[in-house]
Amino acid sequence: MNDVVTLAHGAGGKQTAELIDTVFKTHFSNPEFTADDAAVLHVGNTKLAFTTDGFIVSPPEFPGGNIGKLSICGTVNDLACMGAKPLYLSCAFVIEEGFSLAKLDAYAAAMKETAAEAGVRIVAGDTKVAGKGQVDHLFITTTGIGQLVEGVHPSGAQAKPGDAVIVTGDIGRHGCTILLARNQFGIDADVTSDCAPLWHTVQSMLSVTPDIHVIRDATRGGVGTVLYEIAGQSRVGIHLDSQAIPVHPSVQGVCGMLGLEPLYLACEGRLVVFAPQEKAPALVDVLRQGEYSRQAAIIGTVTADEPGRVVVRTEIGAETLLPPPGGELLPRIC
Amino acid sequence: METTKLPSAMDIIKKYDGPAIRIMEVCGTHTHEIFRLGIRQILPPQIELISGPGCPVCVTPVGYIDEAVYLALQCGVTICTFGDLVRVPGSAASLAVARSRGARIQVVYSPMDAYDYAATHRDEQVVFLSVGFETTTPASCLAVKKAVRQGLDNFSILTANKTMPQAYEVLKGSADAFLYPGHVQAVMGTAICEKLLKDGISGVVAGFTAKELMTALAVIMVKFSQGKPFFKNCYPRVVTPQGSRTGQAVMEQVMRPCASEWRGLGEIPASGLALRPAYNAYDARLKYTVPEMHGHGNPACRCGDVLQGKCRPSDCPVFAKGCSPEHPVGACMVSHEGACSAYYLYGGMLHE
Repeated sequence: MNDVVTLAHGAGGKQTAELIDTVFKTHFSNPEFTADDAAVLHVGNTKLAFTTDGFIVSPPEFPGGNIGKLSICGTVNDLACMGAKPLYLSCAFVIEEGFSLAKLDAYAAAMKETAAEAGVRIVAGDTKVAGKGQVDHLFITTTGIGQLVEGVHPSGAQAKPGDAVIVTGDIGRHGCTILLARNQFGIDADVTSDCAPLWHTVQSMLSVTPDIHVIRDATRGGVGTVLYEIAGQSRVGIHLDSQAIPVHPSVQGVCGMLGLEPLYLACEGRLVVFAPQEKAPALVDVLRQGEYSRQAAIIGTVTADEPGRVVVRTEIGAETLLPPPGGELLPRIC
Repeated sequence: METTKLPSAMDIIKKYDGPAIRIMEVCGTHTHEIFRLGIRQILPPQIELISGPGCPVCVTPVGYIDEAVYLALQCGVTICTFGDLVRVPGSAASLAVARSRGARIQVVYSPMDAYDYAATHRDEQVVFLSVGFETTTPASCLAVKKAVRQGLDNFSILTANKTMPQAYEVLKGSADAFLYPGHVQAVMGTAICEKLLKDGISGVVAGFTAKELMTALAVIMVKFSQGKPFFKNCYPRVVTPQGSRTGQAVMEQVMRPCASEWRGLGEIPASGLALRPAYNAYDARLKYTVPEMHGHGNPACRCGDVLQGKCRPSDCPVFAKGCSPEHPVGACMVSHEGACSAYYLYGGMLHE
């Protein structure tokens, strides 16, 4: 282990997992400690899901959303992925000295609107102001509590050979939007973030069947990182059909120019779902009627062979490994 | 052949029953795409693809990294560099290690970004690590010219720019046909390919999509079977015979040919580019009197043999045993365009 924290430790991939294992898990380990998106807590006769998430997006405003909307979606979606109806949120702000009050007001308004849509109430908060330069604009941390739906137990360890792999929409839009909004590449493209609260999306799937093995939101490390995590946790192989993966043409174009893999670009409004093959068509049908999942698609299957690996059938019909996640995103240089 | 569609190129490739052909791709982006698409899997067994020295990071020698680390740690300059170079091991340290010891390392995406950094950080001395082939060199030249025009005196470059023509002389025995790099030829035109043809060296210029790569390979199979040396531009939508006159002119104006050391191939006369004397003030080696560095890498690493097609990445004793993209021993494992990295990441051993 290198002796300092690097950006790769925060990229949501292998190094992040290593950091959690070697530092946080060592100190925090207890019966409720979880590798899933939220912990399950038994309080009296009620089962609750409990989670927290920090948001440090730069820039704080981007096409399709801002850090306020994002901070609600992230935590609501972590609860939804556990099959839990989001109930209450708290939020903590760390604001840079000199930050515009009008902007802060706009972000708070976005939080209110998104919370209302997701059916949660923001019930507590904390405010800190840090000196100029000590934070980048503002950081928001939200913590959420939700009620688990009876009979629903999705988990990253539940993928079974024969399952279908579904994504609930075109992938990589949030990551691509942020890359372009940072304006380092001089590329203009018509891309907006997919940032959205997904409880209603999960609810629509549960109306088809409670028998859903895995639900994960593909955030920081993108769909690829989530697939590797699930392949590891469930000890299965995952076979993808590259032609079936929905990617917006602009996102594909930007990735082509910069040498990036769309499967590793962040999403903020997309779920990766594993369900029995025979349930998959009905799930996709209901998803395609939902506002945030019109491009839902079956992108692959789970196999007993190649456990821990994600294999891609490429456009020329060959099979290659999806490069495992790791490190910072590096655009190619020639 | 120009109208070849993917299925018919695929047919030619799959049905090929001609003589054995060794094909070398000399562009890192080609290497990456060939592995990503899994092209090797669908080739008949007598077709061998060799990943040549076309990734600027991979051919950059250890001594160059040592020079950059010296500038960062001993001279206290801010290094602006493409991200891939940061993790390439030097004799004693990589730039990443230097950074953890306090060196200022700024990752940029183009030479002009480095210029902009220098212009907005006038209290720092900024050195751009100028690596790359004819595709990136014109941009380095433009950054230097702009610095001259604007009187920017805190900006200089450490050149390790390379040119392909002389490398083909060294490589010509390693392959029966070359997949010429579409991006380089877009700048330089196809005169070099025509000249190589006169010397009996075969090749085709290839683009980067699945269809373009498959077409180029199919053309090589058809032409090679006919038994005569050949050249064909299979990327005509981008590559013209004369190339980019603007790009060639700015390189000619700002840089001069010099001998250059290539990792794995050794020193090749006139295969590098250095600043012309008029731009000495922007040459980091002269500005900081950088001592001559003879780098030494890990002796077990076989990057050099990989770059010449003498062995496959998996034949190297440290491949996946101590050398991985997270902890690279050699440069070919660092860059996404390096043969070892692509082989490792896309599961070159998946079906072996």
